[in-house]
Amino acid sequence: MRFAAGVDVGSTQTKAVIMEEQAGLVARVLVDTGANVTKAAEHSFQAACNKAHIDPRDVGYVVGTGYGRYKITFGNAQMTEITCHARGASHVFPSTRTVIDMGGQDAKAISIDDSGQVLDFVMNDKCAAGTGRFLANAAEVMGIGLDEVGPLSLEGTRPVKLTTVCTVFVESDILSYLSMGRKPSDILRGVHLAMAKRTVSLARRVELHPGITMTGGVARNSGMVQALEEVLQTKLQVSPDAHFMGAIGAALFALERGDDSFETSVWRQTCVS
Amino acid sequence: MRFVAGIDSGSGFTKSIIVADSGSSIDTPVVVGLSITRTGVNMEESARRALDDAITAAGLRAKDINYIASTGFGRYSISFRDIQITEITSGSRGAYHLMPQTDLVLDIGSQSTRAISLKNDGKVRSFKTNDKCAAGSGSFIQRAAKYLEVPIEEVGDMALRATNPQPISSVCAVLAESEIINLVSTGLSVEDILRGIYDSLADRASLLLKRAGLGQRLVFIGGVAKQNGMVKALEDRLKVPVIVPPGCEYVCALGAALLGLKRLQASTTITRKGMKVKEAALHQVRETQTREFI
Repeated sequence: MRFAAGVDVGSTQTKAVIMEEQAGLVARVLVDTGANVTKAAEHSFQAACNKAHIDPRDVGYVVGTGYGRYKITFGNAQMTEITCHARGASHVFPSTRTVIDMGGQDAKAISIDDSGQVLDFVMNDKCAAGTGRFLANAAEVMGIGLDEVGPLSLEGTRPVKLTTVCTVFVESDILSYLSMGRKPSDILRGVHLAMAKRTVSLARRVELHPGITMTGGVARNSGMVQALEEVLQTKLQVSPDAHFMGAIGAALFALERGDDSFETSVWRQTCVS
Repeated sequence: MRFVAGIDSGSGFTKSIIVADSGSSIDTPVVVGLSITRTGVNMEESARRALDDAITAAGLRAKDINYIASTGFGRYSISFRDIQITEITSGSRGAYHLMPQTDLVLDIGSQSTRAISLKNDGKVRSFKTNDKCAAGSGSFIQRAAKYLEVPIEEVGDMALRATNPQPISSVCAVLAESEIINLVSTGLSVEDILRGIYDSLADRASLLLKRAGLGQRLVFIGGVAKQNGMVKALEDRLKVPVIVPPGCEYVCALGAALLGLKRLQASTTITRKGMKVKEAALHQVRETQTREFI
Protein backbone atom coordinates (compact mmCIF):
# COMPACT_ATOMS: atom_id res chain seq x y z
CA MET A 1 0.00 0.00 0.00
CA ARG A 2 1.52 3.29 -1.08
CA PHE A 3 -0.19 6.46 0.03
CA ALA A 4 0.19 10.00 -1.19
CA ALA A 5 -1.57 13.19 -0.18
CA GLY A 6 -2.61 16.46 -1.78
CA VAL A 7 -3.29 19.51 0.36
CA ASP A 8 -4.99 22.46 -1.31
CA VAL A 9 -4.78 25.54 0.91
CA GLY A 10 -7.38 27.87 -0.51
CA SER A 11 -8.14 31.40 0.61
CA THR A 12 -11.33 30.29 2.31
CA GLN A 13 -11.13 26.54 2.76
CA THR A 14 -8.35 23.99 2.95
CA LYS A 15 -8.85 20.64 1.32
CA ALA A 16 -6.78 17.51 1.98
CA VAL A 17 -7.10 14.17 0.22
CA ILE A 18 -5.29 10.86 0.64
CA MET A 19 -4.87 8.65 -2.42
CA GLU A 20 -3.65 5.14 -2.75
CA GLU A 21 -2.04 3.73 -5.88
CA GLN A 22 -4.63 0.99 -6.44
CA ALA A 23 -7.66 2.17 -4.47
CA GLY A 24 -7.61 5.79 -5.66
CA LEU A 25 -9.20 8.34 -3.38
CA VAL A 26 -9.38 6.98 0.18
CA ALA A 27 -10.09 10.11 2.28
CA ARG A 28 -11.07 13.71 1.81
CA VAL A 29 -11.30 16.46 4.41
CA LEU A 30 -12.44 20.05 4.25
CA VAL A 31 -11.63 22.69 6.89
CA ASP A 32 -11.90 26.47 7.02
CA THR A 33 -8.55 28.11 6.33
CA GLY A 34 -8.92 30.91 8.87
CA ALA A 35 -6.09 33.24 9.75
CA ASN A 36 -3.48 30.58 10.46
CA VAL A 37 -2.74 28.98 7.12
CA THR A 38 -0.04 26.62 8.38
CA LYS A 39 -2.28 25.26 11.10
CA ALA A 40 -5.18 24.74 8.70
CA ALA A 41 -2.93 22.71 6.41
CA GLU A 42 -1.64 20.54 9.27
CA HIS A 43 -5.08 20.09 10.69
CA SER A 44 -6.64 19.02 7.41
CA PHE A 45 -3.81 16.61 6.63
CA GLN A 46 -3.99 15.00 10.06
CA ALA A 47 -7.77 14.69 9.82
CA ALA A 48 -7.49 13.08 6.39
CA CYS A 49 -4.96 10.54 7.73
CA ASN A 50 -7.31 9.74 10.61
CA LYS A 51 -10.16 9.26 8.21
CA ALA A 52 -8.05 6.90 6.09
CA HIS A 53 -6.96 5.10 9.29
CA ILE A 54 -3.29 5.57 8.51
CA ASP A 55 -0.35 7.16 10.26
CA PRO A 56 0.85 10.42 8.64
CA ARG A 57 4.26 8.75 8.37
CA ASP A 58 2.73 6.16 6.01
CA VAL A 59 2.11 8.89 3.48
CA GLY A 60 5.03 8.70 1.12
CA TYR A 61 4.71 12.02 -0.57
CA VAL A 62 2.70 15.21 0.01
CA VAL A 63 2.12 17.90 -2.60
CA GLY A 64 0.79 21.27 -1.49
CA THR A 65 -1.16 23.60 -3.71
CA GLY A 66 -3.42 26.64 -3.49
CA TYR A 67 -2.58 30.18 -2.48
CA GLY A 68 -1.19 29.09 0.90
CA ARG A 69 0.97 26.25 -0.44
CA TYR A 70 4.27 27.77 0.66
CA LYS A 71 3.05 27.91 4.23
CA ILE A 72 2.77 24.11 4.41
CA THR A 73 5.60 22.94 6.64
CA PHE A 74 5.31 19.18 6.05
CA GLY A 75 4.93 19.04 2.26
CA ASN A 76 7.48 17.49 -0.09
CA ALA A 77 6.69 19.79 -2.99
CA GLN A 78 4.46 22.67 -4.03
CA MET A 79 2.62 23.11 -7.30
CA THR A 80 0.34 25.86 -8.55
CA GLU A 81 -3.39 25.30 -8.27
CA ILE A 82 -3.64 25.81 -12.03
CA THR A 83 -1.59 22.68 -12.70
CA CYS A 84 -3.36 20.71 -10.00
CA HIS A 85 -6.90 21.58 -11.07
CA ALA A 86 -6.02 20.72 -14.66
CA ARG A 87 -4.57 17.40 -13.57
CA GLY A 88 -7.48 16.54 -11.29
CA ALA A 89 -10.10 17.50 -13.86
CA SER A 90 -8.50 15.56 -16.69
CA HIS A 91 -8.11 12.53 -14.41
CA VAL A 92 -11.80 12.50 -13.43
CA PHE A 93 -13.10 13.56 -16.84
CA PRO A 94 -10.52 12.57 -19.47
CA SER A 95 -12.39 14.55 -22.14
CA THR A 96 -11.75 17.84 -20.30
CA ARG A 97 -10.28 20.60 -22.47
CA THR A 98 -11.32 23.61 -20.41
CA VAL A 99 -11.50 23.91 -16.64
CA ILE A 100 -13.57 26.60 -14.96
CA ASP A 101 -12.51 26.84 -11.35
CA MET A 102 -14.54 29.05 -9.05
CA GLY A 103 -13.09 29.27 -5.59
CA GLY A 104 -13.60 31.35 -2.49
CA GLN A 105 -11.65 34.36 -3.68
CA ASP A 106 -10.69 33.81 -7.27
CA ALA A 107 -12.04 32.49 -10.53
CA LYS A 108 -9.94 30.80 -13.19
CA ALA A 109 -10.31 29.35 -16.61
CA ILE A 110 -7.70 26.86 -17.73
CA SER A 111 -7.28 25.47 -21.20
CA ILE A 112 -5.63 22.02 -21.33
CA ASP A 113 -4.57 19.52 -23.96
CA ASP A 114 -5.60 15.86 -24.18
CA SER A 115 -2.85 14.79 -21.78
CA GLY A 116 -3.97 17.25 -19.11
CA GLN A 117 -1.14 19.72 -19.74
CA VAL A 118 -1.96 23.37 -19.20
CA LEU A 119 -1.98 25.32 -22.46
CA ASP A 120 -3.24 28.66 -21.19
CA PHE A 121 -5.10 30.16 -18.27
CA VAL A 122 -6.70 33.38 -17.09
CA MET A 123 -7.62 34.31 -13.59
CA ASN A 124 -9.55 36.95 -11.78
CA ASP A 125 -7.85 37.71 -8.52
CA LYS A 126 -8.26 41.48 -8.52
CA CYS A 127 -11.96 41.57 -7.88
CA ALA A 128 -14.28 39.38 -5.85
CA ALA A 129 -17.03 39.41 -8.50
CA GLY A 130 -17.41 35.93 -9.88
CA THR A 131 -16.02 34.24 -6.80
CA GLY A 132 -17.53 32.40 -3.87
CA ARG A 133 -17.22 35.54 -1.79
CA PHE A 134 -19.75 37.24 -4.01
CA LEU A 135 -22.28 34.48 -3.34
CA ALA A 136 -21.46 34.36 0.37
CA ASN A 137 -22.05 38.09 0.64
CA ALA A 138 -25.33 37.90 -1.25
CA ALA A 139 -26.47 35.03 0.96
CA GLU A 140 -25.56 36.97 4.08
CA VAL A 141 -27.42 40.11 2.99
CA MET A 142 -30.50 38.05 2.28
CA GLY A 143 -30.20 36.04 5.48
CA ILE A 144 -30.13 32.77 3.59
CA GLY A 145 -27.66 29.93 4.18
CA LEU A 146 -24.90 29.66 1.57
CA ASP A 147 -25.94 26.08 0.78
CA GLU A 148 -29.48 27.18 0.04
CA VAL A 149 -28.87 30.05 -2.40
CA GLY A 150 -28.16 27.78 -5.38
CA PRO A 151 -31.28 25.58 -5.11
CA LEU A 152 -33.42 28.63 -4.31
CA SER A 153 -32.13 30.50 -7.36
CA LEU A 154 -33.34 27.63 -9.55
CA GLU A 155 -36.90 28.49 -8.51
CA GLY A 156 -36.51 32.01 -9.88
CA THR A 157 -38.57 32.64 -12.99
CA ARG A 158 -38.09 36.38 -13.51
CA PRO A 159 -34.44 37.10 -12.69
CA VAL A 160 -33.65 40.66 -11.58
CA LYS A 161 -31.03 42.69 -13.42
CA LEU A 162 -28.12 43.80 -11.27
CA THR A 163 -26.62 47.22 -11.90
CA THR A 164 -23.20 46.17 -10.62
CA VAL A 165 -21.12 43.07 -10.08
CA CYS A 166 -19.16 44.63 -7.24
CA THR A 167 -19.54 42.40 -4.19
CA VAL A 168 -19.90 45.42 -1.94
CA PHE A 169 -22.34 47.40 -4.05
CA VAL A 170 -24.51 44.47 -4.94
CA GLU A 171 -25.68 44.54 -1.33
CA SER A 172 -27.63 47.73 -1.95
CA ASP A 173 -29.00 46.32 -5.20
CA ILE A 174 -30.27 43.29 -3.33
CA LEU A 175 -31.73 45.39 -0.53
CA SER A 176 -33.56 47.65 -2.92
CA TYR A 177 -35.01 44.68 -4.83
CA LEU A 178 -36.11 43.17 -1.52
CA SER A 179 -37.77 46.44 -0.54
CA MET A 180 -39.50 46.49 -3.91
CA GLY A 181 -40.99 43.16 -2.96
CA ARG A 182 -39.14 41.03 -5.50
CA LYS A 183 -39.00 37.33 -4.67
CA PRO A 184 -35.73 36.11 -3.10
CA SER A 185 -35.58 33.36 -5.73
CA ASP A 186 -35.75 35.94 -8.57
CA ILE A 187 -33.07 38.06 -6.93
CA LEU A 188 -30.80 35.06 -6.44
CA ARG A 189 -31.37 33.93 -10.00
CA GLY A 190 -30.25 37.40 -11.12
CA VAL A 191 -27.19 37.19 -8.87
CA HIS A 192 -26.21 33.79 -10.27
CA LEU A 193 -26.72 34.89 -13.88
CA ALA A 194 -24.65 38.05 -13.38
CA MET A 195 -21.87 35.96 -11.88
CA ALA A 196 -22.08 33.39 -14.66
CA LYS A 197 -21.86 36.07 -17.36
CA ARG A 198 -18.83 37.58 -15.72
CA THR A 199 -17.11 34.21 -15.38
CA VAL A 200 -17.89 33.22 -18.96
CA SER A 201 -16.46 36.48 -20.28
CA LEU A 202 -13.33 35.73 -18.28
CA ALA A 203 -13.25 32.18 -19.60
CA ARG A 204 -13.60 33.34 -23.21
CA ARG A 205 -10.17 34.87 -22.89
CA VAL A 206 -8.74 31.37 -23.15
CA GLU A 207 -9.88 29.18 -26.01
CA LEU A 208 -13.10 27.53 -24.90
CA HIS A 209 -13.17 23.99 -26.23
CA PRO A 210 -15.97 21.48 -25.70
CA GLY A 211 -15.42 19.33 -22.66
CA ILE A 212 -15.78 21.96 -19.97
CA THR A 213 -15.28 20.80 -16.40
CA MET A 214 -16.19 22.94 -13.45
CA THR A 215 -14.13 22.69 -10.28
CA GLY A 216 -13.79 24.57 -6.99
CA GLY A 217 -16.13 25.10 -4.09
CA VAL A 218 -18.69 27.03 -6.11
CA ALA A 219 -19.26 23.92 -8.25
CA ARG A 220 -21.30 22.54 -5.34
CA ASN A 221 -23.84 25.26 -6.02
CA SER A 222 -26.41 23.77 -8.41
CA GLY A 223 -27.76 27.22 -9.28
CA MET A 224 -24.35 28.38 -10.43
CA VAL A 225 -23.78 25.28 -12.54
CA GLN A 226 -27.16 25.79 -14.18
CA ALA A 227 -26.53 29.51 -14.77
CA LEU A 228 -23.15 28.80 -16.35
CA GLU A 229 -24.71 26.12 -18.56
CA GLU A 230 -27.35 28.60 -19.65
CA VAL A 231 -24.83 31.30 -20.51
CA LEU A 232 -22.43 28.86 -22.20
CA GLN A 233 -25.26 26.98 -23.93
CA THR A 234 -23.57 23.70 -23.13
CA LYS A 235 -23.48 21.06 -20.41
CA LEU A 236 -20.75 21.17 -17.81
CA GLN A 237 -18.96 18.17 -16.30
CA VAL A 238 -19.19 18.46 -12.54
CA SER A 239 -17.85 15.80 -10.23
CA PRO A 240 -19.24 15.34 -6.72
CA ASP A 241 -15.61 15.91 -5.72
CA ALA A 242 -15.33 19.16 -7.68
CA HIS A 243 -14.46 21.02 -4.50
CA PHE A 244 -11.45 18.71 -3.97
CA MET A 245 -10.19 18.78 -7.55
CA GLY A 246 -7.08 20.82 -6.76
CA ALA A 247 -6.17 18.51 -3.88
CA ILE A 248 -6.87 15.45 -6.03
CA GLY A 249 -4.59 16.81 -8.75
CA ALA A 250 -1.90 17.46 -6.16
CA ALA A 251 -2.28 13.93 -4.76
CA LEU A 252 -2.00 12.46 -8.26
CA PHE A 253 1.28 14.29 -8.74
CA ALA A 254 2.35 13.10 -5.30
CA LEU A 255 1.62 9.47 -6.23
CA GLU A 256 3.79 9.81 -9.30
CA ARG A 257 6.57 11.62 -7.53
CA GLY A 258 6.72 9.10 -4.73
CA ASP A 259 7.23 6.47 -7.35
CA ASP A 260 10.81 5.98 -8.55
CA SER A 261 9.79 4.57 -11.86
CA PHE A 262 7.87 7.76 -12.45
CA GLU A 263 11.04 9.79 -12.06
CA THR A 264 12.32 7.96 -15.10
CA SER A 265 9.16 8.47 -17.08
CA VAL A 266 9.18 12.21 -16.36
CA TRP A 267 12.82 12.34 -17.29
CA ARG A 268 12.04 10.49 -20.49
CA GLN A 269 9.17 12.78 -21.32
CA THR A 270 11.36 15.82 -20.81
CA CYS A 271 13.98 14.35 -23.11
CA VAL A 272 11.46 13.58 -25.81
CA SER A 273 9.91 17.02 -25.73
CA MET B 1 -37.25 85.92 2.00
CA ARG B 2 -37.18 82.70 0.05
CA PHE B 3 -35.92 79.34 1.21
CA VAL B 4 -34.56 76.64 -1.00
CA ALA B 5 -33.72 73.12 0.15
CA GLY B 6 -31.03 70.93 -1.35
CA ILE B 7 -31.19 67.20 -0.64
CA ASP B 8 -28.27 64.95 -1.45
CA SER B 9 -29.48 61.38 -1.35
CA GLY B 10 -26.21 59.47 -1.16
CA SER B 11 -25.78 55.73 -0.91
CA GLY B 12 -24.51 55.98 2.65
CA PHE B 13 -26.01 59.18 4.01
CA THR B 14 -28.69 61.66 3.04
CA LYS B 15 -27.73 65.29 3.54
CA SER B 16 -30.07 68.24 3.50
CA ILE B 17 -29.30 71.94 3.53
CA ILE B 18 -31.52 75.02 3.47
CA VAL B 19 -30.38 78.32 2.00
CA ALA B 20 -32.13 81.65 2.44
CA ASP B 21 -32.22 84.31 -0.24
CA SER B 22 -33.25 87.86 0.55
CA GLY B 23 -34.11 88.55 -3.07
CA SER B 24 -31.50 91.28 -3.28
CA SER B 25 -28.88 90.80 -5.94
CA ILE B 26 -25.99 91.89 -3.73
CA ASP B 27 -26.65 89.39 -0.95
CA THR B 28 -25.19 85.95 -1.31
CA PRO B 29 -27.46 83.15 -0.20
CA VAL B 30 -26.88 81.99 3.38
CA VAL B 31 -27.16 78.54 4.85
CA VAL B 32 -29.78 78.53 7.58
CA GLY B 33 -30.10 74.86 8.39
CA LEU B 34 -28.54 71.50 7.69
CA SER B 35 -28.91 67.88 8.66
CA ILE B 36 -27.54 64.46 7.91
CA THR B 37 -29.12 61.05 8.31
CA ARG B 38 -28.21 57.51 7.29
CA THR B 39 -29.82 56.50 4.01
CA GLY B 40 -32.22 53.68 4.66
CA VAL B 41 -33.70 51.16 2.27
CA ASN B 42 -36.47 53.61 1.48
CA MET B 43 -34.56 56.55 0.08
CA GLU B 44 -37.52 58.87 -0.13
CA GLU B 45 -38.27 58.35 3.53
CA SER B 46 -34.65 59.16 4.44
CA ALA B 47 -34.80 62.28 2.28
CA ARG B 48 -38.01 63.36 3.97
CA ARG B 49 -36.42 62.86 7.37
CA ALA B 50 -33.27 64.80 6.41
CA LEU B 51 -35.36 67.65 5.04
CA ASP B 52 -37.59 67.79 8.13
CA ASP B 53 -34.52 67.86 10.37
CA ALA B 54 -32.97 70.68 8.37
CA ILE B 55 -36.23 72.65 8.48
CA THR B 56 -36.34 72.21 12.24
CA ALA B 57 -32.69 73.21 12.55
CA ALA B 58 -33.43 76.36 10.55
CA GLY B 59 -36.40 77.15 12.81
CA LEU B 60 -38.77 77.05 9.85
CA ARG B 61 -41.91 75.19 8.91
CA ALA B 62 -42.38 72.89 5.95
CA LYS B 63 -44.53 75.41 4.09
CA ASP B 64 -41.75 78.01 4.22
CA ILE B 65 -39.69 76.05 1.71
CA ASN B 66 -40.19 77.49 -1.77
CA TYR B 67 -38.18 75.06 -3.80
CA ILE B 68 -36.57 71.63 -3.40
CA ALA B 69 -33.62 70.41 -5.45
CA SER B 70 -32.47 66.81 -5.20
CA THR B 71 -29.12 65.34 -6.10
CA GLY B 72 -27.11 62.20 -5.47
CA PHE B 73 -27.60 58.52 -6.21
CA GLY B 74 -31.23 58.51 -5.00
CA ARG B 75 -32.31 61.85 -6.50
CA TYR B 76 -35.03 60.33 -8.67
CA SER B 77 -36.67 58.57 -5.77
CA ILE B 78 -37.53 61.87 -4.08
CA SER B 79 -41.00 62.51 -5.47
CA PHE B 80 -41.46 65.85 -3.67
CA ARG B 81 -38.55 67.46 -5.51
CA ASP B 82 -38.95 70.39 -7.90
CA ILE B 83 -35.82 69.55 -9.80
CA GLN B 84 -33.11 66.91 -9.83
CA ILE B 85 -29.46 67.63 -10.51
CA THR B 86 -26.59 65.19 -11.00
CA GLU B 87 -24.08 65.05 -8.17
CA ILE B 88 -21.37 66.09 -10.65
CA THR B 89 -23.11 69.42 -11.25
CA SER B 90 -24.15 69.99 -7.66
CA GLY B 91 -20.74 69.02 -6.26
CA SER B 92 -18.86 71.36 -8.54
CA ARG B 93 -21.35 74.19 -7.94
CA GLY B 94 -21.04 73.79 -4.17
CA ALA B 95 -17.24 73.56 -4.26
CA TYR B 96 -17.00 76.59 -6.56
CA HIS B 97 -19.28 78.58 -4.25
CA LEU B 98 -17.09 77.83 -1.24
CA MET B 99 -13.73 78.06 -3.00
CA PRO B 100 -14.08 80.14 -6.18
CA GLN B 101 -10.44 79.52 -7.17
CA THR B 102 -10.93 75.78 -7.45
CA ASP B 103 -10.32 74.06 -10.76
CA LEU B 104 -10.47 70.43 -9.66
CA VAL B 105 -12.92 68.69 -7.35
CA LEU B 106 -12.52 65.26 -5.81
CA ASP B 107 -15.64 63.82 -4.22
CA ILE B 108 -15.32 60.53 -2.34
CA GLY B 109 -18.52 59.15 -0.90
CA SER B 110 -19.64 55.82 0.47
CA GLN B 111 -19.97 54.12 -2.86
CA SER B 112 -18.43 56.28 -5.51
CA THR B 113 -15.49 58.45 -6.30
CA ARG B 114 -15.75 61.40 -8.68
CA ALA B 115 -13.06 63.61 -10.14
CA ILE B 116 -14.34 66.79 -11.77
CA SER B 117 -12.28 69.32 -13.68
CA LEU B 118 -13.80 72.83 -13.65
CA LYS B 119 -13.66 75.76 -16.05
CA ASN B 120 -12.92 79.28 -14.78
CA ASP B 121 -16.61 80.01 -14.26
CA GLY B 122 -17.11 76.90 -12.12
CA LYS B 123 -18.86 74.92 -14.84
CA VAL B 124 -17.91 71.31 -15.41
CA ARG B 125 -15.20 70.81 -18.01
CA SER B 126 -14.92 67.05 -17.69
CA PHE B 127 -15.39 64.37 -15.08
CA LYS B 128 -14.60 60.74 -14.36
CA THR B 129 -16.41 58.54 -11.90
CA ASN B 130 -15.85 55.17 -10.36
CA ASP B 131 -19.11 53.70 -9.24
CA LYS B 132 -18.70 50.16 -10.48
CA CYS B 133 -16.33 48.99 -7.81
CA ALA B 134 -15.99 49.62 -4.10
CA ALA B 135 -12.21 49.88 -4.22
CA GLY B 136 -11.34 53.52 -3.75
CA SER B 137 -14.63 54.46 -2.11
CA GLY B 138 -15.59 55.15 1.47
CA SER B 139 -17.04 51.70 1.93
CA PHE B 140 -13.52 50.30 1.52
CA ILE B 141 -12.39 52.18 4.64
CA GLN B 142 -15.61 51.33 6.42
CA ARG B 143 -15.14 47.62 5.86
CA ALA B 144 -11.46 47.74 6.76
CA ALA B 145 -12.25 49.62 9.97
CA LYS B 146 -14.83 46.97 10.76
CA TYR B 147 -12.47 44.04 10.57
CA LEU B 148 -9.68 45.94 12.27
CA GLU B 149 -12.20 46.81 14.97
CA VAL B 150 -11.40 50.51 14.85
CA PRO B 151 -14.25 53.05 15.15
CA ILE B 152 -14.56 54.83 11.80
CA GLU B 153 -14.05 58.27 13.42
CA GLU B 154 -10.62 57.23 14.69
CA VAL B 155 -9.30 55.71 11.48
CA GLY B 156 -7.90 58.99 10.13
CA ASP B 157 -5.99 59.93 13.26
CA MET B 158 -4.63 56.44 13.69
CA ALA B 159 -3.33 56.36 10.13
CA LEU B 160 -1.43 59.60 10.78
CA ARG B 161 0.53 57.81 13.48
CA ALA B 162 1.85 55.20 11.04
CA THR B 163 5.60 54.77 11.04
CA ASN B 164 5.98 52.10 8.39
CA PRO B 165 2.98 52.17 6.02
CA GLN B 166 2.09 48.77 4.60
CA PRO B 167 1.09 48.76 0.95
CA ILE B 168 -2.22 46.98 0.34
CA SER B 169 -1.96 45.31 -3.05
CA SER B 170 -5.55 44.19 -3.42
CA VAL B 171 -7.65 46.54 -5.43
CA CYS B 172 -10.89 44.91 -4.34
CA ALA B 173 -12.52 45.97 -1.08
CA VAL B 174 -13.60 42.42 -0.40
CA LEU B 175 -10.33 40.69 -1.25
CA ALA B 176 -8.39 43.28 0.76
CA GLU B 177 -10.03 41.77 3.80
CA SER B 178 -7.93 38.60 3.71
CA GLU B 179 -4.84 40.63 2.94
CA ILE B 180 -5.48 42.83 5.97
CA ILE B 181 -6.10 39.81 8.18
CA ASN B 182 -2.80 38.34 7.00
CA LEU B 183 -1.00 41.61 7.75
CA VAL B 184 -2.50 41.65 11.24
CA SER B 185 -1.48 38.06 11.86
CA THR B 186 2.13 38.84 10.91
CA GLY B 187 2.14 41.36 13.75
CA LEU B 188 1.99 44.65 11.85
CA SER B 189 0.53 47.64 13.62
CA VAL B 190 -3.03 48.70 12.85
CA GLU B 191 -1.77 52.24 12.23
CA ASP B 192 0.57 51.08 9.46
CA ILE B 193 -2.16 48.98 7.85
CA LEU B 194 -4.66 51.85 7.94
CA ARG B 195 -2.18 54.18 6.30
CA GLY B 196 -1.66 51.53 3.61
CA ILE B 197 -5.40 51.49 2.98
CA TYR B 198 -5.46 55.28 2.58
CA ASP B 199 -2.48 55.07 0.23
CA SER B 200 -4.33 52.53 -1.87
CA LEU B 201 -7.38 54.83 -1.99
CA ALA B 202 -5.20 57.82 -2.84
CA ASP B 203 -3.70 55.85 -5.73
CA ARG B 204 -7.13 55.14 -7.17
CA ALA B 205 -8.20 58.75 -6.68
CA SER B 206 -5.12 60.16 -8.36
CA LEU B 207 -5.65 57.93 -11.40
CA LEU B 208 -9.18 59.23 -11.65
CA LEU B 209 -8.04 62.85 -11.25
CA LYS B 210 -5.47 62.41 -14.00
CA ARG B 211 -8.14 61.06 -16.33
CA ALA B 212 -10.49 63.94 -15.50
CA GLY B 213 -7.89 66.51 -16.46
CA LEU B 214 -5.35 68.74 -14.89
CA GLY B 215 -5.83 71.17 -12.06
CA GLN B 216 -3.77 72.78 -9.36
CA ARG B 217 -6.30 73.93 -6.80
CA LEU B 218 -7.93 70.76 -5.61
CA VAL B 219 -10.98 70.82 -3.39
CA PHE B 220 -11.76 67.53 -1.68
CA ILE B 221 -15.40 66.97 -0.71
CA GLY B 222 -17.65 64.11 0.40
CA GLY B 223 -17.78 62.14 3.62
CA VAL B 224 -14.30 60.65 3.20
CA ALA B 225 -12.77 64.17 3.11
CA LYS B 226 -13.49 64.38 6.85
CA GLN B 227 -10.74 61.83 7.42
CA ASN B 228 -7.43 63.63 7.88
CA GLY B 229 -5.52 60.41 7.18
CA MET B 230 -6.97 60.36 3.68
CA VAL B 231 -6.16 64.05 3.12
CA LYS B 232 -2.55 63.42 4.13
CA ALA B 233 -2.28 60.36 1.88
CA LEU B 234 -3.65 62.37 -1.06
CA GLU B 235 -1.28 65.27 -0.46
CA ASP B 236 1.68 62.91 -0.31
CA ARG B 237 0.58 61.18 -3.47
CA LEU B 238 -0.40 64.23 -5.55
CA LYS B 239 2.23 66.63 -4.19
CA VAL B 240 -0.30 69.48 -4.16
CA PRO B 241 -2.15 70.99 -1.21
CA VAL B 242 -5.59 69.49 -0.75
CA ILE B 243 -8.28 71.91 0.43
CA VAL B 244 -11.14 70.48 2.45
CA PRO B 245 -13.97 72.96 3.01
CA PRO B 246 -15.71 72.81 6.39
CA GLY B 247 -18.88 70.78 6.08
CA CYS B 248 -17.31 68.82 3.22
CA GLU B 249 -20.07 66.21 3.29
CA TYR B 250 -22.76 68.85 2.60
CA VAL B 251 -21.17 70.34 -0.52
CA CYS B 252 -23.37 68.50 -3.03
CA ALA B 253 -26.51 69.40 -1.06
CA LEU B 254 -25.35 73.01 -0.98
CA GLY B 255 -24.69 73.03 -4.70
CA ALA B 256 -28.14 71.58 -5.34
CA ALA B 257 -29.76 74.24 -3.14
CA LEU B 258 -27.86 77.02 -4.94
CA LEU B 259 -28.80 75.71 -8.36
CA GLY B 260 -32.38 75.32 -7.17
CA LEU B 261 -32.36 78.94 -6.04
CA LYS B 262 -31.05 80.05 -9.41
CA ARG B 263 -33.87 78.17 -11.04
CA LEU B 264 -36.42 79.70 -8.72
CA GLN B 265 -35.07 83.18 -9.42
CA ALA B 266 -35.20 82.56 -13.16
CA SER B 267 -38.80 81.41 -13.07
CA THR B 268 -39.96 84.32 -10.91
CA THR B 269 -38.18 86.85 -13.10
CA ILE B 270 -40.21 85.65 -16.00
CA THR B 271 -43.41 85.96 -14.00
CA ARG B 272 -42.51 89.47 -12.86
CA LYS B 273 -42.07 90.62 -16.41
CA GLY B 274 -45.75 90.04 -16.75
CA MET B 275 -45.49 87.14 -19.13
CA LYS B 276 -48.28 84.64 -18.91
CA VAL B 277 -46.42 81.68 -17.63
CA LYS B 278 -48.35 78.52 -17.86
CA GLU B 279 -47.24 75.44 -16.02
CA ALA B 280 -46.12 73.83 -19.27
CA ALA B 281 -44.02 76.77 -20.32
CA LEU B 282 -42.38 76.93 -16.93
CA HIS B 283 -41.70 73.26 -17.17
CA GLN B 284 -40.01 73.80 -20.50
CA VAL B 285 -37.76 76.45 -18.99
CA ARG B 286 -36.87 74.00 -16.26
CA GLU B 287 -36.04 71.34 -18.76
CA THR B 288 -33.73 73.53 -20.86
CA GLN B 289 -31.98 74.88 -17.82
CA THR B 290 -31.49 71.43 -16.42
CA ARG B 291 -29.80 70.47 -19.64
CA GLU B 292 -27.64 73.54 -19.42
CA PHE B 293 -26.61 72.65 -15.91
CA ILE B 294 -25.78 69.12 -16.82
